[in-house]
Amino acid sequence: MVDVRDFHCDYENKWCPGCGNFPILEALKQGLADQRLVPEDVLMISGIGQAGKTPHFLKCNFFHGLHGRALPLATGAYAANSELPILVSMGDGDCYGEGGNHFMAAIRRNPDMTLLIHDNRVYGLTKGQPSPTSERGFVTKIQPMGVRSDPLNPAALALSQGAGFVARAYCGHKEQLAGLIGQAMDYRGVSVIDIMQVCVSYNTVNTYDWYKKRVYDINEQGHDTGDLSAAMALAFAGGDRIATGLFYKKDRASFADRVPGLAESPLAARSYDPARVQALLDQA
Amino acid sequence: MGIDVTVKIGGEAGQGIQTVGDLLARVCHGCGLYVLAVNDFESRIRGGHSFLQLRISDRPVAAPDHRVHLLVALSPRTLDMHLSELADDGLAIFDSQETGPGDNVVSIAVTDMARKAGGAIMANTVAAGACLALLGASGSLLEIVLKKQFQAKKAGVLENNLKAAQSGVEAVEGIDFAPAFAWPEKKPAGKLLSGAQILALGAVAADCRFAAFYPMSPATGIMAGLTGFEDRAPLVVEQAEDEIAAVNMVIGASFAGVRAMTATSGGGFALMAEGLGLAGITETPIVIVNSQRPGPATGLPTRTAQADLRFVLHAAQDEFPRFVLAPTSLDDGFETMGRAFALADKYQVPAIVLTDQYFNDSVNIAQKPLTVPESIDRHIVTDADMDDPKAYRRYEITDSGISPRAVPCAGQALVMVSGNEHQQDGHISETIPDRIGQVDKRFRKLAAMEKEMRSPRTDFPDSRVLLTGWGSAAGAIRESVEMLRAEGMDAGGVYFTDIWPFPQQAAEEILGRCERFYMVEQNVSAQLGGLIREKTGLKFYQAVLKYDGRPFFPFEIARRVKAAEEAIDG
Ligand SMILES: Cc1ncc(C[n+]2csc(CCOP(=O)(O)OP(=O)(O)O)c2C)c(N)n1
Ligand code: SF4
Ligand SMILES: [Mg+2]
Repeated sequence: MVDVRDFHCDYENKWCPGCGNFPILEALKQGLADQRLVPEDVLMISGIGQAGKTPHFLKCNFFHGLHGRALPLATGAYAANSELPILVSMGDGDCYGEGGNHFMAAIRRNPDMTLLIHDNRVYGLTKGQPSPTSERGFVTKIQPMGVRSDPLNPAALALSQGAGFVARAYCGHKEQLAGLIGQAMDYRGVSVIDIMQVCVSYNTVNTYDWYKKRVYDINEQGHDTGDLSAAMALAFAGGDRIATGLFYKKDRASFADRVPGLAESPLAARSYDPARVQALLDQA
Repeated sequence: MGIDVTVKIGGEAGQGIQTVGDLLARVCHGCGLYVLAVNDFESRIRGGHSFLQLRISDRPVAAPDHRVHLLVALSPRTLDMHLSELADDGLAIFDSQETGPGDNVVSIAVTDMARKAGGAIMANTVAAGACLALLGASGSLLEIVLKKQFQAKKAGVLENNLKAAQSGVEAVEGIDFAPAFAWPEKKPAGKLLSGAQILALGAVAADCRFAAFYPMSPATGIMAGLTGFEDRAPLVVEQAEDEIAAVNMVIGASFAGVRAMTATSGGGFALMAEGLGLAGITETPIVIVNSQRPGPATGLPTRTAQADLRFVLHAAQDEFPRFVLAPTSLDDGFETMGRAFALADKYQVPAIVLTDQYFNDSVNIAQKPLTVPESIDRHIVTDADMDDPKAYRRYEITDSGISPRAVPCAGQALVMVSGNEHQQDGHISETIPDRIGQVDKRFRKLAAMEKEMRSPRTDFPDSRVLLTGWGSAAGAIRESVEMLRAEGMDAGGVYFTDIWPFPQQAAEEILGRCERFYMVEQNVSAQLGGLIREKTGLKFYQAVLKYDGRPFFPFEIARRVKAAEEAIDG
């Protein structure tokens, strides 16, 4: 039996006490254990930021790459071995800012991987600058008059670009998040989970209290996950209530399904066949 | 004297200049002749002025000739621009119904004849027929090539093209063309390929299984070549959303266990710089081809340069070991791709292959057989190679600096990789011993990497005067050395393929012996010359530099070296 403790890692954790990343990490371990995966079979790819550090605190294989570039890195690993269970851990700046183009491209390409965006609506690691999801008016040291731009809407963006698995979660609701991670891993294609994460050090607006008053689980209310307009409406809903849960799910051909032969045998698993390549050279 | 004839075909982009060149090149190749086709085109799809210069010879040729024997002008502008390049016994064919402006210009209503044969689109076939007839080839030669090309096409296409070719032949009947020659009936001397094609072949022969790219001239042809193999080899080629994605994908694919590459030009390479460093610190083997064009920024998109050497040597922040290789010929290009992948794997470092527009877009003959290795050594470890897989450390400190590389999810060993500085197991570390330990570990590889570097190729290395260059300029330098020697100068040539780690000892030995050496490079500051000075203390006497975006002509190198030598002697 796999146990959440199997994913425990001795490496010293470097997040601030009380950070919303801790419950996300716990939910992640739960989700992986529920999947009956062992650490040796899990690959996490991450970008740079507090969220990007996640794989250091989880027992697994990992590649902690560059700021904004986790998705192409993961896509390459997936192209080489499409059987790997891949999780991609990114911050909101990482995924929607520096890596925004890759986010859109990943949705189009649809490699089979689970995107975990730790959306704390701030740049944590670089000490409190606004992120693409910070509210207009969000005050920081370098925006003393408040952020001038409007925030990006992750769920709406993902839905509008045709993503086949779009969810929003809240770090404080671990059970729900663990369940969503499990469903996302079962889904064949890009699955997007925008996780509203509390940053106790640099975001004094979107606190645990702030979220607690607002979040509710749409999947407990009979939301139809096959209804794109309903999902869009949830993504755009303003006011004091914030919907969480699986917004939308639809089957799409994964990247591997689109490349002849790739779904049957991963590139990395194929044996070297000099005669075949020689024949190809002889035809040149 | 043997055969050495240059045909230049010029016109507007979209007129099928390339097709004429292609037909002629294939006819020559089929008879055992050597050819070099150089493309000169503007960055536009239609109109403007483009030309293709085809050099035909009975011995290998690796540089364009400045003298044109047969000029085919499909537009008036071609005639205006290039008539002065005609050799004394040269001839121009002008697509017109009026008589040409001089004795050496023959008007042929090429387009009109094509229309009569079935369509203006076959103007290039008419032109090819006329060219071959003037050059003394028998009509059957073109017929064979046309048959091969159009066999599979709709009924009538082949017939019309044969008719078009025949009208071209008839149009030049009775014209005396001195450079015509007796056509050999030999077997092809090798494979007729472009540089881009040979790089793609080299990659697939090296078992490259993943390639990602973002289109950029003149590198796109390499990816087009690779895509052509996707159905016959375990290979996926993916167009990335940008070059940053391309290089990161390649790193990810290599990390997960396959050989992977990308190809771009300087602008795209600039975007890849951070990724290059990621490959450096994570010790992930990757191959990047940078096919140079003049810059900075967009520069001259469709033209050639050798001005990114300093850039690729130092691109990305801080320092890490890398390989830089610049193939000097098609044969060398094939071999270099194989070496780039093998060296990258063996030392777990990025390898950069530097080519340029002239190298990629020119069509020449690869003379060596293209063969694949019997086996590929990936230098990858598995649980079976480890005493205790659970204790595996990706960045273990070793004497050689090379740590055992495992791939993720392949066994009990956890593979942990970080672009942050790390401790031996791959977790982030900011301690002084880890930092120094890892930097030193990475740099310990350099000694063995240096030993892998080959000496530059040479011609007459014991000469008084040596002409030194790198990459694709080698062909032109080599011929200029021949020219200088024919005039009695004690000259030799030195051509670097392996540039980094710099083959210091070999360079010192060769260049230290001559009286003086010249650098011949396609940049403004003699970048390799500077590197030679830095690494050996040896200073070049003068440099023959060209940065107009056009490839070297051997005669211009010879002329400039000769002038410099005469200034000394005089
Ligand atoms: C190319 C590059 N630019 C900037 C940085 C600096 N940087 C590191 S993390 C970060 C933003 C972190 O914010 P986010 O992605 O939201 O992650 P968080 O720390 O909030 O989890 C920035 C700007 C970097 N590492 N690399
Ligand atoms: S700065 Fe914010 S996001 Fe980063 S560890 Fe601290 S609380 Fe968490
Ligand atoms: Mg953030």
